Amino acid sequence: MTESPFDAAQEAPAREALADAAARFADLAGSSDFTFEHGTIKLRVERDGWIPAHEALRTELPFFSWLAGVDWARDVAVGDPPVAEDLEDHYEVMSCLADVTVGASVILSVDLPKDDATLETLTPVYGGAEWHEREAHEMFGIDFRGHPNLVKLYLPDGFEGHPLRKSFPLLSREVKPWPGTVDVEDMPSTENPEAGDRS
Amino acid sequence: MNVLFDNFWALLGIKLLLIVLVVMTTALVVIYAELKLGAHFQHRIGPYFAGGRWGWAQPLADALKFLQKEDIIPAAADRVVFKAAPMVSLMAYFAVVVIIPFSPRLVVQDLDVGIFYALAAGSLGTLGVLMAGWSSANKYSLMGGLRAAAQLIAYELPLVLAVVGVVIQAGTMSMVGIVEAQAEPAFHLGSVGIPLPFVLQGQLIGFIIFMIAMLAELSRTPFDLPMAESELVMGYLTEYSGLRFTMFFLAEYAGIFVMSALVSTLFLGGYFLPGLPSNVFGPVILMGKTSVIIFLIIWFRWTWPRVREDQLQGFAWRWLVPLALANLAVTATLKVVF
Amino acid sequence: MTMDPRAAMHHSEVAVSVELQTPDMTLNLGPQHPSTHGVLRLVAQVDGERVESVEPVVGYMHRGYEKLAEVRTYPQITALVNRIDWTSGFANEIAFVVGAERLMGIEAPPRAQWIRLILTEMARMANHLVFVSSYPLELGATTPMFYALHERERVLDLIEGVTGGRFHPNFNRIGGVKPAAGGGSSQKKLAQDLPKGFIDETRFAMEKVFEICDTMDKLIVGNEIFRGRTIGVGVIPPDQALAYGVSGPNMRATGIDFDIRKVDDYLPYSEFDFDVPVGENGDCFDRYMMRLHEIRQSARIILQALDTLPSGPLQAKVPRIIKIPRGEIYVRSENPKGEMGYHIISEGGRGPYRLKVRTASFSNLSVLQWLLAGVLIPDIIAILGSLDFVLGDVDR
Repeated sequence: MTESPFDAAQEAPAREALADAAARFADLAGSSDFTFEHGTIKLRVERDGWIPAHEALRTELPFFSWLAGVDWARDVAVGDPPVAEDLEDHYEVMSCLADVTVGASVILSVDLPKDDATLETLTPVYGGAEWHEREAHEMFGIDFRGHPNLVKLYLPDGFEGHPLRKSFPLLSREVKPWPGTVDVEDMPSTENPEAGDRS
Repeated sequence: MNVLFDNFWALLGIKLLLIVLVVMTTALVVIYAELKLGAHFQHRIGPYFAGGRWGWAQPLADALKFLQKEDIIPAAADRVVFKAAPMVSLMAYFAVVVIIPFSPRLVVQDLDVGIFYALAAGSLGTLGVLMAGWSSANKYSLMGGLRAAAQLIAYELPLVLAVVGVVIQAGTMSMVGIVEAQAEPAFHLGSVGIPLPFVLQGQLIGFIIFMIAMLAELSRTPFDLPMAESELVMGYLTEYSGLRFTMFFLAEYAGIFVMSALVSTLFLGGYFLPGLPSNVFGPVILMGKTSVIIFLIIWFRWTWPRVREDQLQGFAWRWLVPLALANLAVTATLKVVF
Repeated sequence: MTMDPRAAMHHSEVAVSVELQTPDMTLNLGPQHPSTHGVLRLVAQVDGERVESVEPVVGYMHRGYEKLAEVRTYPQITALVNRIDWTSGFANEIAFVVGAERLMGIEAPPRAQWIRLILTEMARMANHLVFVSSYPLELGATTPMFYALHERERVLDLIEGVTGGRFHPNFNRIGGVKPAAGGGSSQKKLAQDLPKGFIDETRFAMEKVFEICDTMDKLIVGNEIFRGRTIGVGVIPPDQALAYGVSGPNMRATGIDFDIRKVDDYLPYSEFDFDVPVGENGDCFDRYMMRLHEIRQSARIILQALDTLPSGPLQAKVPRIIKIPRGEIYVRSENPKGEMGYHIISEGGRGPYRLKVRTASFSNLSVLQWLLAGVLIPDIIAILGSLDFVLGDVDR
């Protein structure tokens, strides 16, 4: 591997600036847990602090970029399971805010327990959250309280299940394996880790 | 021969046959011109193979293709009106040709109220469009038909007002009379009388207004709102197919020919060109002038975007009608003064 | 008849008889309609020509990329992502590949970055040329399409010459770009990494692109009807654009001077001198002009990049099997249509645990419901077209 541009010595001032920015945004949002790895500032907030954090950041970060869910689950039907052994199954909802002057970008993250996957809607704060929340609703089954029109966005009416949950299998691949698997690389979650290592 | 020409009904039959042939042929020629000119405006070649050379038979091939298509009538359509609409549209323009003089004697019927009749008959074409839009039981068709009706009402007025200027100047409503008025010397250069078409005799504004209103009557770009394929799919034509579509298609191009011939007659001197005997060259001269107008219409079509409904109405009522009225007032004043 | 103040404002222009109470008609535009660019459906409540409200229905083209990505390896995902927005396939790959590289702690060698940048700008140009030519088509002018697509063909030919693909190049590799076919080991400096004559042909094509921009200026921008149809139509105020995440030229048309190329370093844009066009009114006309100017700026960038093209390898050293260490990253790029970003969550495997794809058209279109209330039916088409979206980019 070549030297990473991110741990090289000349990048140190940039990293410091990033740390400062992260700390400042975390302070604004009322978050005590934040990371800034790989240039991505991520602030973890409590469920109650979700709306206040957005409201606090809105003046500085007026650009609503996206909102998405993640299903953290040990028992997966597709792909690789997460590494951490002590991971508790939960949903994570992330929203990305940015400013439009110097290019700062912040990801806010909140954890939701699986048995109570509800969250206050962001639509009054950022109007653009409407479609993103509808998507997260149909894909993960997360309920956004107070959303004006929480119906399916992509999926057809009457579709059952939440496709981006890790427990939702890719049915077409269950029926017929993907033909690409015979190639040099094997797929995530296949049983043969040595297959690709011939050189 | 005389027996044939003296019999009213026989003569009528011959005249009708001639009209149909002339209009159909010219419509096909205009369609070909549109295909070929449009292609060249767009850096394309256009029709190339049909007929062996230059694709001259393309409109015929298209017509044959359309004839073979299934004739679909929507289940919810008003069948009688749906079937009648294309005929109404096509007949309207046939009716106008009746009064267009191709030479002093080559005119089916030189009516005293010729131009008045032409404008009335020509407007019937839009009635066909409205019928098509209403009877198709399709929302896009309906909107297309309504737009056509609104457009007709808005642009008929400036059209008529522009013509009234010509009528005042010529002193007659007969089409032959209007041409003859333009053949009279407008002024004398020494002992030589110089005849001028009305467009050069102070009717330039009238000519421009007539051209604009004519484009709207014909639903041609930039006033092609009744069809507006990017908004209303195909407007009133959405549900039409096969033979009925062909009739609308022919009607559109017959309309272009007929209206262009009207412009040529009213403003450009019709079959008259100084120095050439009208009795012999009349039809050629008229066709030549008409071709120029048709070329302009096709040129506009391939250059301009489409206006919006409110802009179309605003343009008619705020600009064209007052301008036409002013033009009329000036023409009438000058006529009285001189 | 109830309507919001915006709709009432429109009414002042064309007064519809308010006394005549008629039931609204539901007009279903799409999913098969000539102007919805694919399979967008708009359910409009119309009163004559007046649109009372519009409900956009998307998802007819949902292909589930985010789910698919969870069962694909990283190199395979590059082939997936350039199908998201097919009018600028190459640009889609960049942010993903850069994200993967940063997670692995590697960086593509300069020559690869320069080639990426040139091809990204070409993709932008190809996308914008489609826009500047097809937008007049929505307004009823058919001819500009043929003029501009002629030049776009040149640009696509250049992309094809390098990558082998016109729409879906799949040319980026994690750690660099794909070496030319038959070029042997990826670590060697290859004489044939760009096709022979590429630089001269590109210079010629850029001249032609400048020419077509001037032609469009004369043919379209100066046209009274075009101006009448677009100026003051579909105005997005800046704060609305920000709250809805409207990005790219659509955002800059509102007067916000922000371009990710100027603030982020996913490609070496800081090496080049280019302007970011900024609009004033945020209407359809400004959105059109943004793209027309951006074509010129892209040509400028490409010409500079050709002059400074470094030599060297095309690939950084990468393991044969790409596994990305645990971590997460969000990388965004200034795509032709706006901000395109990938949030990659890696759990150390061959494929991502979760890949969130942020597409520009999705957010740009989400403003539609607000924007279309109270306009005229022809304006629906004018506004829709001016947002420059691709349904693949909306539905993913």
